[in-house]
Amino acid sequence: MPHDHHAPAPATSSGPATLDRRALLVGTGAVAAGLIGYPIARRLFTARKPVFLARGQRYGGPLAQTIREGLLAVGFDPPRLRGRRVLLKPNLVEPAREAPHLTTHPAVVLAAAEVFRGWGAEVLVGEAPGHVRDTELALSESGMGAALQSERIEFVDFNYSRVRSVPNAGRMSSIEQFRFPRELFEVDLLVSMPKLKTHHWVGFTAAMKNLYGTLPGQVYGWPKNVLHYAGIPQTVVDINASVPRTIAVVDGILCMEGDGPIMGTPKRMGLLAVGLNPTALDATLARITGFDPRRVPYLALAEGKLGPIADWAITQRGERWQELVDPFAIIDERHLQEMRAGHSLVTEVTSPA
Amino acid sequence: MSWFDQTLDLLAGKPCCGYRANGAAAVEPTALAAMALAAGRGEQAAEPALQWLADVQAGEGSLGIDAANPHPRWPTGWAVLGWRAVPALAEDPRWNAATQKAVAWILSFRGRSLPRSSSLQHDTALCGWPWVESTHSWVEPTAINLMALKKSGKAGHPRSQAAVELLLDRMLPSGGWNYGNTKVLGNTLRPQVQPTGLALAALHGEQSAAEHVQRSVDYLDRVLCEETTTASLCYALIGAAAHGHRPAAADRWLEAAWRRTLEHGASPYLLALTVLARLGRDCPWFANTLAGQQR
Repeated sequence: MPHDHHAPAPATSSGPATLDRRALLVGTGAVAAGLIGYPIARRLFTARKPVFLARGQRYGGPLAQTIREGLLAVGFDPPRLRGRRVLLKPNLVEPAREAPHLTTHPAVVLAAAEVFRGWGAEVLVGEAPGHVRDTELALSESGMGAALQSERIEFVDFNYSRVRSVPNAGRMSSIEQFRFPRELFEVDLLVSMPKLKTHHWVGFTAAMKNLYGTLPGQVYGWPKNVLHYAGIPQTVVDINASVPRTIAVVDGILCMEGDGPIMGTPKRMGLLAVGLNPTALDATLARITGFDPRRVPYLALAEGKLGPIADWAITQRGERWQELVDPFAIIDERHLQEMRAGHSLVTEVTSPA
Repeated sequence: MSWFDQTLDLLAGKPCCGYRANGAAAVEPTALAAMALAAGRGEQAAEPALQWLADVQAGEGSLGIDAANPHPRWPTGWAVLGWRAVPALAEDPRWNAATQKAVAWILSFRGRSLPRSSSLQHDTALCGWPWVESTHSWVEPTAINLMALKKSGKAGHPRSQAAVELLLDRMLPSGGWNYGNTKVLGNTLRPQVQPTGLALAALHGEQSAAEHVQRSVDYLDRVLCEETTTASLCYALIGAAAHGHRPAAADRWLEAAWRRTLEHGASPYLLALTVLARLGRDCPWFANTLAGQQR
């Protein structure tokens, strides 16, 4: 199964201590590192992570085809999925019928389900809406409930799931362990399926921040204020480090800019983004939306631990991100302006009033 | 047999219940089932649920979300409401002892205040109850614990008065409540039906809240309909009933919600709520409670 967000284990040698070709290359590399300096050596020896971008997408279009092509383009291995269980995690934080740009569109979730089912997997959908105790309401307002029912896809209400304690593998915050829904550990693959939005505290939200919604409200509250007190950037990294086997498919078709993640305005981008490494994917989406990934606190913390954020460490498949850049409006708050990719990219600032 | 009686039969068959039909027993659904059974069938029918709640109670008086998870302890107020569901229960020394321990714990538990900030509109210094220890006060846990204190004869306690003040402060300008933020970074947030119902129920008998109550009941009147989801509808009808209001179509909406609930997994938590919503002004959350009690 793809398990791409943890750093690969270092290669160990079990053979005799002879100088084979690989060792020679490594040795040469080490000498080269000494000569040319650490930053360049790091580039030479860092595994690049692929990210797939597709533009011109619409909810009534052939989304399953795009997602399928995207997954194959980033190296997903469909045969290994046969007979396995896949859990799709959309963002239904606080759905409102009048604000479809707030939550993951059901068409994207159904398209992903079609792809994984087509590859022989059993698909379920789970979410712990962050601001709403009535999960039936979240499903109704977002249109997700009817969509899932039409395709007979099981929905798991994470807010009231039985929990399993897991040590905090990220150790960025003071939280020692997380209590995740048990279902998360009974599947073979977790797919983060966020809506691409601005976020008025941490700049920007996509694949990584979406995993806040795996944690049950009955344990963490509505909102999950425990995580806020422990530090949003830190806990985003901690949660991503602690969940198993995560890839991402991002709904960037109708997005939210301005005062996201709840009260922002719609922004049509027509994007679908796919990646096996949520950090690399979010770094790319940050660039597209006008943020500097190194200044988005949770991406900066995740760099090198969960995945790369440097452009040179991310392989682009599909569209090139440089051609898709369309900075999202952000509210006039200093902490947000400081995350911008550069003042020249600030094209619009909305008033908070 | 009416849907109301059918539901009471279902709850009586498994009074220690969870959020899902086959789920493990949890404190909130079991307390709600106990209230439904006590009010609908008499205190004897509620006894197994009330005893389970007492068994789950920790030595210091709190109750966690279920037997396996003693933290967080936000459901404690629901247990108090269960043990105080009908007047006859107050005579039983078992539930009295459990209630007193729980109330003492509730009074010792408080939300974290914050320095005033231009980012948040609400008064962050006001103290109610949080969902989880060492976090801020939010609308729903504050409403639950306020109702628990009122049912325990502590409507006049300073913590109850502070909770009323907090709820009034957190109401949205056009009426209604959400989880507990009003305006963030300059933008006014949307109200939600469920917290609105719960806050209204907790403000039962608060004469000083009349204007807030009216605006919020008006909000509910604008948004409630046959498609309103079960939990939201039940909380809303209970909250409105606390102030003598019941939409003309309430019974029809409730029966429709009950049918949907049965078709979609028969959650005991939701079924208990339908019974409580059907009780209207006799809902144990506030029935037989006087706002001025022991003031």
